[in-house]
Formats: sequence, structure tokens, C-alpha cells
Amino acid sequence: MQSAPGCLIDAELAGFLESPVMIIVGTGLGGVPEIGRGLGALVEAGGAALHLVVSAWQWPRTVSQARESGTIAITFARPTDYVTYQVKGQVEWIGPLTPALHARAARYAAEIAEVLAGLGMSPELTAPWRSKRDLVALRIRPQQAFVQTPGPRAGHALAERTG
Amino acid sequence: MTSLSFLDACFEGVVPSILCTLAADGTPNVSYLSHVARLGDAQVALSNQFFSKTSANLRGNPRAALLIVDPRNGTQHRLDILYRGSVQGGPAFDRMAADLRATSVQLGMADVMRLRAIDIFDVLDVRQVQSDREAAPPGPPSGQSLARALAVTEALMRATALGGMVDAVLDALASAFGHEATLLLLHEPARGCLVALGSRGYGTSGIGAEVPLGEGLIGLAAQDRRPVRVGDASRLRRYGAAILAGSEQEARTRSVALPRVPDAMSQIAVPMEAQGRLQGVLFLESKRRMAFDAEDGLVLSLVARQLGLAIALAEAEAGDATPLAPSGQAEVARGRSAQVVHHAQDDSVFIDHQYLVKGVPGRLLMWMLDAHSASGRIDFTNREIRADAGMRLPELKDNLETRLLLLQRRLEDKRAPLRLHRPARGRIRLEVTARLDIVSDRNPS
Repeated sequence: MQSAPGCLIDAELAGFLESPVMIIVGTGLGGVPEIGRGLGALVEAGGAALHLVVSAWQWPRTVSQARESGTIAITFARPTDYVTYQVKGQVEWIGPLTPALHARAARYAAEIAEVLAGLGMSPELTAPWRSKRDLVALRIRPQQAFVQTPGPRAGHALAERTG
Repeated sequence: MTSLSFLDACFEGVVPSILCTLAADGTPNVSYLSHVARLGDAQVALSNQFFSKTSANLRGNPRAALLIVDPRNGTQHRLDILYRGSVQGGPAFDRMAADLRATSVQLGMADVMRLRAIDIFDVLDVRQVQSDREAAPPGPPSGQSLARALAVTEALMRATALGGMVDAVLDALASAFGHEATLLLLHEPARGCLVALGSRGYGTSGIGAEVPLGEGLIGLAAQDRRPVRVGDASRLRRYGAAILAGSEQEARTRSVALPRVPDAMSQIAVPMEAQGRLQGVLFLESKRRMAFDAEDGLVLSLVARQLGLAIALAEAEAGDATPLAPSGQAEVARGRSAQVVHHAQDDSVFIDHQYLVKGVPGRLLMWMLDAHSASGRIDFTNREIRADAGMRLPELKDNLETRLLLLQRRLEDKRAPLRLHRPARGRIRLEVTARLDIVSDRNPS
């Protein structure tokens, strides 16, 4: 079913994606999948695009596969209660961070470290998941969003855009 | 390729692992998963619970990416894995099913998460994900495990009487592992539960506290007869923590509260077995995260088996002991009186309205008190208790010594006006320091 542009990521979901949640990234090329982590996300006004920050130094294959294949899956999971959403989409552009994205990444890194510390995982322990070297921004056009919170609704499509 | 056996800490389930698969059209799917197990040095197993998209993807393209994290330093490892098939039974399945049950119980979701199948993967490659701060490499095992096992079993070996063995193991465990608290529980087959026989590190002894088989970490270890371990309990519901240990509570519920370390981060429960029978559970708690690793589980299993054998031996030896000596007669206690109330329904015994014990130890105490009030006897032998058909307790055959010890310690805990002493092997002396007023609702036999 076709949704009106901007409906895939509504304000509520956007708020969640931009909050201190764990961000994991899936890509694939030639039938070989890769995993990476994101260091913050920003949803464009209206929800038509999602900007994701990734360390190209720590996750080189994630960035190269995203560039070549153009498809990406990103799962956002809140560590305190396991509320989880997966967004799948097309990578439209990869490039340097804008000042706004730099600020976003810095704030995200600080906030998620604090959330995890609150759960008993010290910032030293979780630091290896947050490299800030060679950060790049991926502009993604979301096409599907799924609820992935563990439980009976896991895997249900939240919304889908076929256009 | 890094050997998988060096990555054991990553399979503890503390930091969630990440799995990525690809659909037929190349669309990736990335998700967290809680349970990854190492099968030998070249395979891993994933619990297949909710991941229908993942399953569908793997049927089309068996290649998957797996990211696991060392919970000690945050180091990430990337595994390239190849799906080989799913199994619904076998040792690996049983182990993962037990782990999952342990998690479910801790989260208060018992019976919610049933394992249907596990997915088996070949590991094609393992590589460490680079990070800005090079975490100290996990390093080889400390090599202290065998020394710890030896220290505990040595202490056990030097002890003679059953009570001494229990104390020796509890003390030796505390100094070998440096954890906060230990509980030793006995299996009570007739009532399908475990009963605490001794402890260290809690505010109260907890002797007499019961855990039903299958409940919590302790009950699970007993039911599945395998060690169950938690390394990061911060997110777990602290069920039971609010229960107050107190005489009033004990009397009302006819039970003793299980002692707990309220802010424990790590727990391990290990079954104690001998001659193919479950004898009890050793339970250790620590406030430190990841206090017990897989190797500690092995070491504690060895210790628990040694203790199980020692207890079995003590039971057998006590049965061989020769009764001797003229039976002592009680001096009539003067001064204060105490009321002993026995409820036949569960053999619970109360002294001056305070709950003492129930079940077999309750029955044992009443048997001795009956003889005491009839003829003033204070000396008994292990053998005559076993032989007395009136006890109607077939399970006592192999368990009498441990039940006597439980009764003896519980009487001490409650500072009761009657105590048990063990003047010699196979002999029991009752010390009564008050005039007893005994009331029982059982049918006269």
C-alpha cells in the first residue's frame, strides 16, 4: 500500500530514532552481509530522509557496501526496555558531515554512553563501539519500517513505501 | 583465524550479539539476538525464536554476518558464518534451552520463551573489529581454576563429620573465589524442593529456606542438573528481594526466607550429584559483574561432585556405626517451660509459636521427643531411627545425616530450648533445657 510521502517516519518515530538508542547497520554485497554501528541519526523534516553517521575507519565494509549496493537496514533499539524498530531504505548519498551532524554525533555518543552506564556498562567498556574516526554521513530514503520489539508483534511492518 | 575458544566470554549473553542476513534481492536484515552458543571450535548455534525474516533469508542465502562482544572490555568480533541447518534436540539444543529458561526465569517470563529449534552455523572467519582504544587482549585463562578447586577439595578432605564438611566447603569457597555469599542447599525429593543447609555472607543463615525445583537459578540448576550462570543481573527483576526475613513471616508462612544479596550482579548455581542422584545445589553470589566465568562453572561442578560424594560417604558410614553405651536419662529440666506444637499435615514444628522446621526434620524431631517424653531418653542412634518403621520415611535411608544436621542447625539458629549433639559417629544426643509441653494433631498410631 502506498503511503503519502513523509508518513513512513512520523514525528514520534523520528523522535525515537534520534534519541539515545543503539544503532546497528546491515548491508550486503554479492550475497555477503556486513554489520556496522551508527553514531547518531537525524531525520529530515517531514521524514522523507534519514541521515546516519558511521565511522568509515571502524566500519569500512559497511560504508563501501552501502555505497555500492545502495540498500541498507538500520535497527534502532532502546537498551532500557528493548523497544526496537528497523528501517530499510536506499542510500542516496554518502559524504562528509555537516556541522549539524557533527553536533548530533557528539551528543549521541555522550547520551548513549550515559544510558549504557545507567545499565551497569561503564563508558570505558562501551567506548570501543563508538569510534569517531573518519565519520561519514549516509543520506537514506526510508522504504520500510518494522516493529522489532521482542514479542508477538516483532517483524510487523509499521509502514511501507513502494514508490 | 582467532580460535573461538578464546572468545568464550562473548558467548555469555551479557552484551547482545548482532546478526545480519540478506534477502534474495539483497535487502539486508539486521537484528539483535540474545543467545549465541559456541559449538566446538568451528561452529556456533543461534536460538531460533522470533526471527522469521532471518529464517526466510537464510533458506535463500546461507551466508550471515555475526557480531559478538566481549563483555569484559567491549571488544567486538566479526564472524562470517554459514547456515548449516536447524536442530530440535541433542546436547547443544538442551544446553541452549536451559540457558534460555534461565533467562526467562530471571526476567519473570518463565514459560514464555520456549526454544523451538537452534540454527547451526559453520564459522568461516573471525576477526576483531578495530577500535580507537585498543582494549587489553582478553589473555589466556588465569590458570587459578585448578588451584581453587584443589584448595576447596583439600579443605573438604580434612573434614570428618558431615557438619564439618559443609562448613569447610563454605569457608574454602569464600576464600578461593572471593565472592560475597554462598548457599548450600539439599535436595528434598519427597517434596520436590531444595532446602538450605548452610550459608556464608548473608545477614541471616537462611537454614531451612526452600526453593521449589525449577524455580529461579537454584531450582533450574537442580531441575536441569547443569550449572546456570548470570554475569550481569542489573536488568533483572529483583523478585523476592522484598520478602522480609523475620520470625513473624516464618510463622505465618511456615517457611524460612531465602537469603539474598540484594545488589548481586553475578550468580552461579551448580548441581551437586552423587551416584546418579541429585543431592543439592551450590549457589554463589557476587556484587561484581562477570564474577564467575565458564571455567569457574567447571571448577564448581568438580567441587560440588566431590561434596556430593563426601556427603554420600558420610551417610553410608553413619549407618555402619555401632550403637553403644547405656542410654542416658534426662535430668528433669527445671525452670522455664516451652511449648512444642506439631502439625501432622506437613510435619511442621513450632517452638513457642516460632516456626522451626517441616517435613522430614520435623518428623525426626517429633520421634525423638516422643521417646524423650515417654521414657526420658536423650541418647539415640542413627541405626534405630533408620530401622523404626513407624517413621515411615523410606527417603531417610540415604538422607538421615543431612536431615539431622539441618535440624541441629535450625535449632541453633532459633536458640531453641532443645538442641541436638553428635557425641560420636552414628549417635545423637538430645539436650533439653526447658520443660516441654508437646502438642500434636496427628492421629495416635
